[in-house]
Amino acid sequence: MPQSVDTALGILNKQLNQPLAAALEVCARCGICAEACHYFVADPQVENAPAYKAEQLRKVYRAEHDLLSRVFPAWTGAEPLSDEKLAQLAEMAFNKCTLCYRCTANCPMGVDTPLLMTTLRAMATASGYGPEILEMLADAAIEKGKDPEMYLEFFRDSIQDMEKELQALTGNPQASIPLQKKGARMLYVALAGAHTILPAAAIFETVGEDWTLSIYEAANYGVFLGDASRAKEIARRIVDEAKQLGVEEIVISECGHAYYAMRWVAPNWFGDEFNFKVRSIVEVIAEYVKEGRLELDPSANPEAITYHDSCNLARKGGVIEEPRRVLEAITTDFRELTPNREEAYCCGGGSGLVAVPEAYEVRLASGKPKAEQVRRSGAKVVVAACENCRLQIGDLSGHYGLDVGVVALADLVVKAMRLPGYQETIEERMKAEVSVVGN
Amino acid sequence: MTLILFTQIFAALALVFTLAAFGWRLRLFNALARPVDRSTPKGNPRLGILYAYTLGMAPWAKESTRRHGIAYLRGVAFHLGIFLGLAILIVSPWLYLLPVAWRTLLALGAALGALLGLAGFITRFAEHNLKALSTPDDYTAVLVVSLFQASAGLWLVFAPALPLFYMVSAVMLVYAPFSKIRHCIYYAYSRLFFGKFVGSRAVLPHSQQGAR
Repeated sequence: MPQSVDTALGILNKQLNQPLAAALEVCARCGICAEACHYFVADPQVENAPAYKAEQLRKVYRAEHDLLSRVFPAWTGAEPLSDEKLAQLAEMAFNKCTLCYRCTANCPMGVDTPLLMTTLRAMATASGYGPEILEMLADAAIEKGKDPEMYLEFFRDSIQDMEKELQALTGNPQASIPLQKKGARMLYVALAGAHTILPAAAIFETVGEDWTLSIYEAANYGVFLGDASRAKEIARRIVDEAKQLGVEEIVISECGHAYYAMRWVAPNWFGDEFNFKVRSIVEVIAEYVKEGRLELDPSANPEAITYHDSCNLARKGGVIEEPRRVLEAITTDFRELTPNREEAYCCGGGSGLVAVPEAYEVRLASGKPKAEQVRRSGAKVVVAACENCRLQIGDLSGHYGLDVGVVALADLVVKAMRLPGYQETIEERMKAEVSVVGN
Repeated sequence: MTLILFTQIFAALALVFTLAAFGWRLRLFNALARPVDRSTPKGNPRLGILYAYTLGMAPWAKESTRRHGIAYLRGVAFHLGIFLGLAILIVSPWLYLLPVAWRTLLALGAALGALLGLAGFITRFAEHNLKALSTPDDYTAVLVVSLFQASAGLWLVFAPALPLFYMVSAVMLVYAPFSKIRHCIYYAYSRLFFGKFVGSRAVLPHSQQGAR
């Protein structure tokens, strides 16, 4: 048996717990899940049906664990794992499933196909079949956590530049972006670049929030790899920072997988409940709106605007009504996509696909249902509270000729705040980003 | 020993075997780790579990079952027919005490289950995508279970068919733990995990989410 196969089977056996065993055993192959998958809707081939994809791992599982399958493999479709098959399974798990959970929600049995695909990703990663780019990004994040001092000075400089922009935006020369502030109430974890820092900083400044900016980025590429040990190391940087600063809560920027990982999975990696809360900035803004802490002018956003539910935030995270409460307060022509909320289609860019150049064609093709939804809505602006969704919908806009702008929720909130320096700062930045995203 | 007694003993032994085999499978399953979710719930996991076993199974609860309502209800009725067949098997020695009208009603229920099973078998064979998903075990499982229901119905209206009913039951019961039929014991767990997931995150039921 090749080493890669041995390693992959070792991972399968190691990860075999009750939820995984149930997902492997319970499927009746009724096929009712097919149309729940955006890959199948875009291209109705059986290979795109969740049951078919999950069955590929079940074949391997049966060959290893099922008595009848070992005696009569053809009877149950059991297939022993080979190096060639492992490569095929890896390609499928990384490129033909975005772990969006829509199939599970639509399955009468509740088969957790994303769990099966995550297991396959773990098997592939451990045996050297994981996408190189995701591995590089995950390893780079871990390295950064080992010696943050190396880049801290550079980060401070860029934050100082951003502070000037913030002061211009808010019209407050005292406005600041606190870094490593001990005892702050909130640790805000942004993504790389100013676009998820500046709008959030303007909102925090306006409501008088006691916050500090994390020196790390929220993205966790270990999650995409299905590699819990890497994912834990990446999360550990932020968890340790939160503990050192003594914050009450970690707030994750508008990033679906980062929120999902830190909010719902990370406590399980560390084997302990956190002594701080974890929320998405969407929830925090919704709270500010509810408490009347932001003065908002919905006429600042008069365009037809729709909201795309990120799978990680909505169906897998329960952040469903909060963005809608905010949008009600900041827009005059809000339109729902159909279906929406926990029934929303995945945009096709999730689970790391946006970062993998080889997946470009497949993600544009699988995003067709989302593109059609957006077109039917007649919206001119799509709000998405997830960076990967924004990048994907921007690409879909170009590919399918939707001609829509794609923005984060915080961008529109800042616009509705009617800040004195909005035109010169955020709007110019947004225009630049939308044009980049739309290409 | 009469043929009825012989086949009855055979079916009883098969029932004991299948219960033991399922018990063994459940023991293996329960020996596996069940991960503890240490994240702070946003919603109510218990409400989610309750939903998963009740309203979450309603034909209108999911896009897939709304879209394929007839196929879904066919499946539900087929499975209800299986439980009816099992109930008939267990109380078969005393069923002669029931009035003919009741026996006929039960026979109709079992026959309907068998017909719906047969319809499922044909669909699996005829529909391109479903066929591609299916293994010989899938066809056999549906066929054996449909025959089980048909033989139950036949015996209720035609007494000499009792040995046939027992023999078919025995075959189905022995085959069940090795085949796809065993999904029945994992179903409860799968729904439990699903319910906990969506309940804890306040995704479902909708009442957890406030403005709906």
